[in-house]
Amino acid sequence: MTGPAIAANAVTRRFGPTIAVDRLDLQVARGEILGLLGPNGSGKTTLIRMIAGFLNPTEGSITVAGHDTVDDAMTTRRRIGYVPESVPLYRHMRVREFLAFMARLRGIEGGEVDAAIDRVAGSLALGEVIDKPIPALSRGYRQRVGIAQALVHDPEIVLLDEPANGLDPRQIIELRRTIQALAGRHTVVLSSHILSEVGRVADRVAIMLRGRLLGVRSVAETPDLEAWFLSLT
Amino acid sequence: MRLLAILLRKELHAIFTSPIAYTVAAVFLLVLGYTFALTLFATKVANLNYIFHQMYVLSILLVPVLTMRSLAEERRNETVELLLTAPVAEVWIVFAKFLANLVLVLALYSGSLVYAAILARYGTPDWGPIWGGYLALAALAFLLTAIGVLTSSLAENQVVAAAGALGVFLMLWFADSVAPYLPAPLDLVAINLSLIGHFRPMATGSVFLSDFGYFLVLGMAALFLATRRLGER
Repeated sequence: MTGPAIAANAVTRRFGPTIAVDRLDLQVARGEILGLLGPNGSGKTTLIRMIAGFLNPTEGSITVAGHDTVDDAMTTRRRIGYVPESVPLYRHMRVREFLAFMARLRGIEGGEVDAAIDRVAGSLALGEVIDKPIPALSRGYRQRVGIAQALVHDPEIVLLDEPANGLDPRQIIELRRTIQALAGRHTVVLSSHILSEVGRVADRVAIMLRGRLLGVRSVAETPDLEAWFLSLT
Repeated sequence: MRLLAILLRKELHAIFTSPIAYTVAAVFLLVLGYTFALTLFATKVANLNYIFHQMYVLSILLVPVLTMRSLAEERRNETVELLLTAPVAEVWIVFAKFLANLVLVLALYSGSLVYAAILARYGTPDWGPIWGGYLALAALAFLLTAIGVLTSSLAENQVVAAAGALGVFLMLWFADSVAPYLPAPLDLVAINLSLIGHFRPMATGSVFLSDFGYFLVLGMAALFLATRRLGER
């Protein structure tokens, strides 16, 4: 299949008088890891929520693998795995139960559910906690379970909103390895306000401020990300 | 239908692992048992009229407590993002919430069948009003649960959702009280909106299709509005 994995075309999102995302154009190539960088309130979460289909653009459009996120919402949602910033999980469930629920919700049936759970539990090292109740998990494991639910249906595109929030240094290193392992097989968009973290895992970095996209650059071709960031913001 | 079954199973699990359901059930059955014993000893009449009206009042007070968490809790915990970014139509999410709560309310009502059995064992009750009463209760449960899910879809705070549902129930209960002060044809509208006006005939054995229509139409309208509210993106 050709064309970008994600294409945002002059996308604007308003909340009443507030413009959260302003006429934004962006393309993400297949298999690429794109880091969205910007301070709190810059519109990163709104953009990710629009790609995930949780919010609709007020103007413009977003396509995922060529399908419009509004007109062809079910198709685009099947292709996406999404980890919201707060990593919401159902507290009355055990980890296996939760992953099974999310897998079935995304169309996986029968014996494939267990196979899918085993696959993500293996790749995210969840074996130790797979039968534990969700409230008993540490912050790091909760984050991993959040990522596991996004990967359980093996989506083409993975959206991670501020995935390093609240993690300790060891957990951040583990998360970085997890994201790097997704490269190539999945297209990944992750948001962060920590420049160094984005620089370490992303192929390209997009800088947002007050809802506008200020610039997009390849990490390999930008030796001093910090200077570039400061020059734009 | 497959998605509805998956969501319904999750909702039933959430409801029956929550202390709220058991607390409400205990209060409901305790008050009902007290009323049954008291009225039976006082009137020595083998019917369940008092019980049905007691259940009507208890439902007005307790159904909001059962339904308040439906969608408000999903919003507060942000798990609604997981549901709304999965390939699931909003109508299935609302229907699963509604059906799970309806099952719980009907299960509470079924506890009163023991009183019918006692009457049958020790007396010769007229079964027409008793079956009519249970039909009225089923219709009441349908409407109250639907409105409860609607108010839960409008609020993020569960207490606000419960208070909203209670307010709507009370307004419907006393809707005909304002009829004498309204010009025609608004007075007829107020009379026909009355909850007790449609419940009482059925609960005493006079079953009319128009009463069923009232519960069905208002209930479906509430579910429609809840679906629209959930679909706002």
